Amino acid sequence: MRQNVLLTALMLFCQVSLILLTQSCQAPPAPSEVNQAFKQEQDLWRAGASIYAPDDYENYCQLLAKTRKHYEKEELKIGFFRDYDQVKENFSQVLEEGNRINKLIEDQKASASGEIISWKRELYSKYQTLETLSFEIGQRTNSRELLVQADIIFREVDRLLSQAKYQEARARLDFASSLINRAENILYRQLKRYMSWEEISRWRKMAEQAVKKSKASNRPVIIVSKLEKKLIVYKAGVPIKTYQISLGFRGLSAKLYNGDEATPEGEYKVIKKLSQSKFKRALLINYPNEEDRIKFNEARKRGYIAPSAKIGGQIEIHGGGKDGLTNGCIALDDKEMEELFRLIPVGTPVTIVGTTDQNNKIITVLKREER
Amino acid sequence: MKNLVKFSVLSLLVVFLFASCAKQPTQEIDAAKAAIDAVVKAGGNIYAQEELKQLNDDYNAAMEEVNAQSKKLFKKYGNAREMLAKVETDAEAVLTLIPERKEQAKNEAIQAMDEAKAAFDEAKTLLSKAPVGKGTRADIEALKSDLAGIETLLTEAQAAFDSEDYLSARDKAASIKEKAAAVSEQVQAAIAKVRR
Repeated sequence: MRQNVLLTALMLFCQVSLILLTQSCQAPPAPSEVNQAFKQEQDLWRAGASIYAPDDYENYCQLLAKTRKHYEKEELKIGFFRDYDQVKENFSQVLEEGNRINKLIEDQKASASGEIISWKRELYSKYQTLETLSFEIGQRTNSRELLVQADIIFREVDRLLSQAKYQEARARLDFASSLINRAENILYRQLKRYMSWEEISRWRKMAEQAVKKSKASNRPVIIVSKLEKKLIVYKAGVPIKTYQISLGFRGLSAKLYNGDEATPEGEYKVIKKLSQSKFKRALLINYPNEEDRIKFNEARKRGYIAPSAKIGGQIEIHGGGKDGLTNGCIALDDKEMEELFRLIPVGTPVTIVGTTDQNNKIITVLKREER
Repeated sequence: MKNLVKFSVLSLLVVFLFASCAKQPTQEIDAAKAAIDAVVKAGGNIYAQEELKQLNDDYNAAMEEVNAQSKKLFKKYGNAREMLAKVETDAEAVLTLIPERKEQAKNEAIQAMDEAKAAFDEAKTLLSKAPVGKGTRADIEALKSDLAGIETLLTEAQAAFDSEDYLSARDKAASIKEKAAAVSEQVQAAIAKVRR
């Protein structure tokens, strides 16, 4: 009897053990949310979560780590005792949070991309205006060197944007912006006189006086407008001829000394007609005049120019073509020079001004960027 | 009573024995860290970003395990040791991937740099041969400045290449090539002006 009871108990124990063993082998599968969450974390990182939503991502990682710990604890239990309901719920929360962060990243990226594109558009427009201006004025200036670098960087930014490298794109645009500003400052320094109302008024007055002079004397008068690159011949107060001209490498600046490649500004007169000059026909003007000498001496005294600098001379209106750049002279096409040469006697007044146009192209371009 | 004292001493000895056996796996931690550092040093941040992220995650998980065990009375660092060993092995495997990827990036950068230099040289040659004639002198002068600007950025691309930032060098060079080609076109236009 006792043996039977023992045997029954043993069998019962074996059966329970077997059931437990079977149950542990048939553990419920881990919820699919577990792997989804691990994959989601990788995807979020790849999408740049640590850059675009750093705090949220850090909290998410902590939540995921906590949830994973709980899951691992559950995994250590014998299958029968495992409870994945809580694990599933926890991982669902993680996934939900991950989806929220993903949306946040997308929004941040769209905003960053939009912001960069709009900034680039703004800078590019400024670049184009300055580039056109620097090309049109035909001046020897290193502003173009800077502008061309900015253009290359714009191309680089496009590449970075296509790779969603927004931070790098922003840094490069920042550099392009500084290049453009430097180029603008160079042009501004070189051309600010053309934006000054006082200066333009002074030039206008000079031109008006020249016209009056031609009216009073009934003799020809030459007015040269440097910015517009025009030489106009007036007779009896009326413009009778207009020619396209070219100036020095730094023709828009006011000549101060020999070798500055600038074209002088002021009231001069033709002092000699040269029928056989280096550039065929030429009209020599009386640069430097008294005013030029005063300016030169003053500049040398103040140390603006080297003590060894010379004032220069030999400024002519000559042929050779309106195509190019001179060392300070005013050049016309040979055919037109021939005509002018016949028209102009020695002693003809020559007034050279920067511009008379109060709405000139430099004002239109640089005024709006004026600091 | 005597037996109780003996038993207590023996128990304490066993506890100390367990505790002393369960030392933190400092050697494994250092090795794993060094292996990850080696990946970073080899350019993992650029050429094996995802793998490096995985390594860091695994290392952090292992360290969490070490911390968790260090708070227990009976410390078991076996699992942490295994995790750290895996990090080390994985890092060594990642390290072998980098040279090939770097080499590929380097080759792409070399090609892009060569193309950029060729485009620049072409524009320069074209400009030096451009006839100065009707309406071109000022244009040519401006284009000379443009080439000087391109040359400056070529130097920048070369610097990126020299510092082994091949991906950046490649992108810079590609942009330079485009601009140099655009300048060549402008030179051609200036030449055409003379011929008209």
